[in-house]
Amino acid sequence: MIKDKNKKLSYLSLILPAFIIYIAIIIFPVIVSFGLSFTKWRHFQLKGFVGLQNYVNIIQDPIFQIAVKNNFKIMLLSILGQIPLGLILAYLLFRKWVRGSKFFEMMIFLPITISSVVVALLWNRVFSPVGIYTTFIRTVTDNPDYVVKIFENPNHAIVPVLFVLLWQHTRLYMVIFIANLQRIPKSVFEAAVIDGASEGVIIWKIVLPALAGVIYTSSVLAISGSLKSFDLVFAMTGGGPVHYTYVMALYLYQQTFTFNNYGYGSAVSIIIVILSVGLITLGQRIYARANRKFN
Amino acid sequence: MSQDLRDRKISVPTIVFSYTFLLLFTMITLFPIIWMTYSSFKSMGEIMIHPLSLPIEFTLANYQKCIEFGNMDYAFLNSIIYSGISTLLVVLLSLMAGFALTKFPYKSAKVYFGLFTLGLLITVNSVITPLFIMETNTGLYNTYLGVILPYVAFGLPMAVLISTSYIRGIPNALIEAAVIDGATYQQIFWRIILIVSTPVIATISVLTFLGNWNEFLMVFTLTSGENMRSLPVTINSFAGRLNQDYGLQFAALVIGTIPMFIFYLVAHNALIKGFGEGALKE
Repeated sequence: MIKDKNKKLSYLSLILPAFIIYIAIIIFPVIVSFGLSFTKWRHFQLKGFVGLQNYVNIIQDPIFQIAVKNNFKIMLLSILGQIPLGLILAYLLFRKWVRGSKFFEMMIFLPITISSVVVALLWNRVFSPVGIYTTFIRTVTDNPDYVVKIFENPNHAIVPVLFVLLWQHTRLYMVIFIANLQRIPKSVFEAAVIDGASEGVIIWKIVLPALAGVIYTSSVLAISGSLKSFDLVFAMTGGGPVHYTYVMALYLYQQTFTFNNYGYGSAVSIIIVILSVGLITLGQRIYARANRKFN
Repeated sequence: MSQDLRDRKISVPTIVFSYTFLLLFTMITLFPIIWMTYSSFKSMGEIMIHPLSLPIEFTLANYQKCIEFGNMDYAFLNSIIYSGISTLLVVLLSLMAGFALTKFPYKSAKVYFGLFTLGLLITVNSVITPLFIMETNTGLYNTYLGVILPYVAFGLPMAVLISTSYIRGIPNALIEAAVIDGATYQQIFWRIILIVSTPVIATISVLTFLGNWNEFLMVFTLTSGENMRSLPVTINSFAGRLNQDYGLQFAALVIGTIPMFIFYLVAHNALIKGFGEGALKE
């Protein structure tokens, strides 16, 4: 009996430190955030409940609408750009058609260690009048006065940001896909080669079906990642010019920390959570349906 | 396996395509970084006139300015404190939790585990507002602990997942034998679990350390004093996008990347393994 009590105590003393920190700093604030989203604040003080008013105001705010549009562009880029490109890189390295594929892998993966702030500022310079991109275009087009003007276009100002996100995150998917390609049993490839299967058949019939699960997981990662993107946009454009490159997290940050409108900011965060859960559930449905169709 | 596959005849266009594709991607990856590095040794004037050329007059002035006016030394130290302590705590707490969740016969383990998994879906955005209010009310705002605790909390879900799946694989017989020999669970944790778990300790610490080293939003919003800022936040405020001193900015960016490049040289295998397998855990 005494032993059992000791065991239970040991169990609790092992699990509780992690659990308490986790609950206090993540779960509790999420619940508070939900409550806050129905309140109004002014001058750091709670001014009372406003029901769904915050949500209505957010959805009607044109700046928020720009932000949502940009977040969707980022999401599409992640799923249709980063993942396929990462897949191609992974496959080329996995098949070892080139010498030194380990070296390529190491070099391509290196920038994963660079913080988004540094990536953002570096690429800002690349696109600046003294940057690599600008100088390159000037030389190619023989126009010494060329400057990057795309930021001035309300619809395309986000494009350089998208490019940088592609540059930054594709390598992550590459590494994930390489790890999973290496899990496909060797014998499967050998059998295909003996049967005289072409490369195309190997990719369509072996590689893609084997990777379907991880492509799906990566898409979930991409969806939730793109809805929360903040650092890179904040450091690269600050949402500007005007509000052309706003994203939802930036809008949230501005409401909470610039205007001290905690209720409104919380409502934005709840909208981000709802969108993220909704999109992931949708993805799950699509994946399950596709699975049934192919099996 | 590649050995067997390579025996096959590969068409020349495939090889040409592979080399072109990989070389192009590697160049796009590395060239901006190389350009940034050598440009940091150029004066502002030189950068303006010859943006792409190597430094003609090699200068360290940009770095001097960074250290003198930029608070970079403080920022570096803070980054080490924030990421180092939080990583240590995440490793320890997640292994303890992993041990509790897999080697004890209590039903509540499922609930704990479920709640930790839920945390994978929650981002910093969704808690930052209440966290800020909580920290200003408890005096944690603008303190080391006020950054370290959230870092630990956000590191835990993934770390618990990794450690749980690893510790589950440790044979129960090993623990039962120790219990029969009269060891307490604390002793078992420190002398068996911790020792046997070295591979996941490496994975967890490398991923947590890197993530927290590069973290921006929490330090930015939960601290205010210049002497509390981490490297990314300092770089952004000292050499941000509105700064027109390009040389200085490049130097700041190099200071921000070099430590992690050294880290990468040492830990790239653990990193590639950690990131590669991270997405498998679902």
